[in-house]
Amino acid sequence: MNLDFALSMEEKALRAEIVAFAREHLNDGAIARDRDQHFSRELWVKCGALRLQGLLIPEAYGGRGLTPLAATLAIEALGYGCTDGGLSFAICAHMLACSVPIMRHGTDAQKRQWLPGMASGELIAANAMSEPATGSDAFALASRAEVSSDGFRLSGRKTFVSNGPVADLFVTYAATDASKGFHGGITCFIVPTVTRGVTAGEPLEKMALRSCLMSDVSFAETHLREDSVLGRVGGGAPIFAESMEWERTCLVALHVGAMERILEDAIAHARVRTASGQAIGKFQAVAHRIADMKVRLEATRALVYRAATTLGHTRESGLSAAIAKLFASESLVASAADAVRNLGGAGVLVETEAERALRDAIAATTYSGTSDIQRNIISRWLGL
Amino acid sequence: MTTTREQITTATRSYIIQEFLPGESPDSLASSTPLITSGILDSIGTVRLVSFLEEEYAIQLEAHEMGVDTLNTIDDIARLVLSKVSEK
Repeated sequence: MNLDFALSMEEKALRAEIVAFAREHLNDGAIARDRDQHFSRELWVKCGALRLQGLLIPEAYGGRGLTPLAATLAIEALGYGCTDGGLSFAICAHMLACSVPIMRHGTDAQKRQWLPGMASGELIAANAMSEPATGSDAFALASRAEVSSDGFRLSGRKTFVSNGPVADLFVTYAATDASKGFHGGITCFIVPTVTRGVTAGEPLEKMALRSCLMSDVSFAETHLREDSVLGRVGGGAPIFAESMEWERTCLVALHVGAMERILEDAIAHARVRTASGQAIGKFQAVAHRIADMKVRLEATRALVYRAATTLGHTRESGLSAAIAKLFASESLVASAADAVRNLGGAGVLVETEAERALRDAIAATTYSGTSDIQRNIISRWLGL
Repeated sequence: MTTTREQITTATRSYIIQEFLPGESPDSLASSTPLITSGILDSIGTVRLVSFLEEEYAIQLEAHEMGVDTLNTIDDIARLVLSKVSEK
């Protein structure tokens, strides 16, 4: 057992590279992009030049080929350096719910077709799973893919599709045998946006992560060739479940980075802001709140790193992922709310960026499975 | 050492009783009892069972092998595990 979280020289360099890049290129204009609900493809391409979207994609397909733990450290660095939570979320949704399934279950031809563009930022991918009538009951899909003469005919409507309005391809799921549901009845498809019958809706107006656009996507009698199937026919549910394990583990590294940034800002403010003749950090009420933020940060980091070491090695990574996701997202909300409180009246001002961090944090308790769903998963693993 | 169908059946039945049907007698779970379509195994239960089988027999199941066609009864499971073991 090794519980030493000290970074290697290589890992330190990776972190420094990403933090410096994010601070230099990604933060200017974040307030306006949030206000206008604007996704910047220009910034997306810049991130692609650094292969941020390809952290996990093998080098043979144009990515960095990092291990899950190394990618987690890189994502943490992005969360620390980048204050545009929507952009960093868009990158992670693309990488974890789309490139990871292709990387792990795609044919060599599918990998060659999609992964280089997904790693370089040339392409944007969106995971289309949730449906208007199914949220947390993810596998009760109404979308159907019926066998046709040379492939499948896909019909259905998806919602809450992050990156939907700007996506070049969708990784989506439909019932190919509704009677089997999770157990062999769901198939995963790769669907280029230009396919006839594919329509991405207008961006949904939302509270959080506003620079990551989200929409409905409909598939109307969309003809798909057999080579659109990712994995095998009927094997889609485990692919989706696995992609959520990667998302629950690696995406929440963004929260670790954000919590560290928020904590440092809170400490800096508490040292210089004075009241009644002394720095507010000298008041126990403020100091204890900041101490709690530190405890949440360190506990979250340990859970996330632990979960990252299990990815791809054991089925129990699903349990570790649910634990990490639940704790990280709830901790982020608590720390972001504490950060607003520490700022007093200024905490609600847009210019301090604390209110945006809090809005973004609340979204974290809903995507990749709500906190209640994480508790369901944990309790089922415990045999309850 | 050769793994037999009977060994797999016994171990799987014991695991399912212990984890998903606590208090039930092993005799109450026939080799042909539906596990998935009867609701004994849900999605996470299936993953837990697969985790047990992979560890116990040092095998690896693919995504498309985690379905009702391959895991719905103890007989199905024994057949799948035996084929995986023989591939090693």
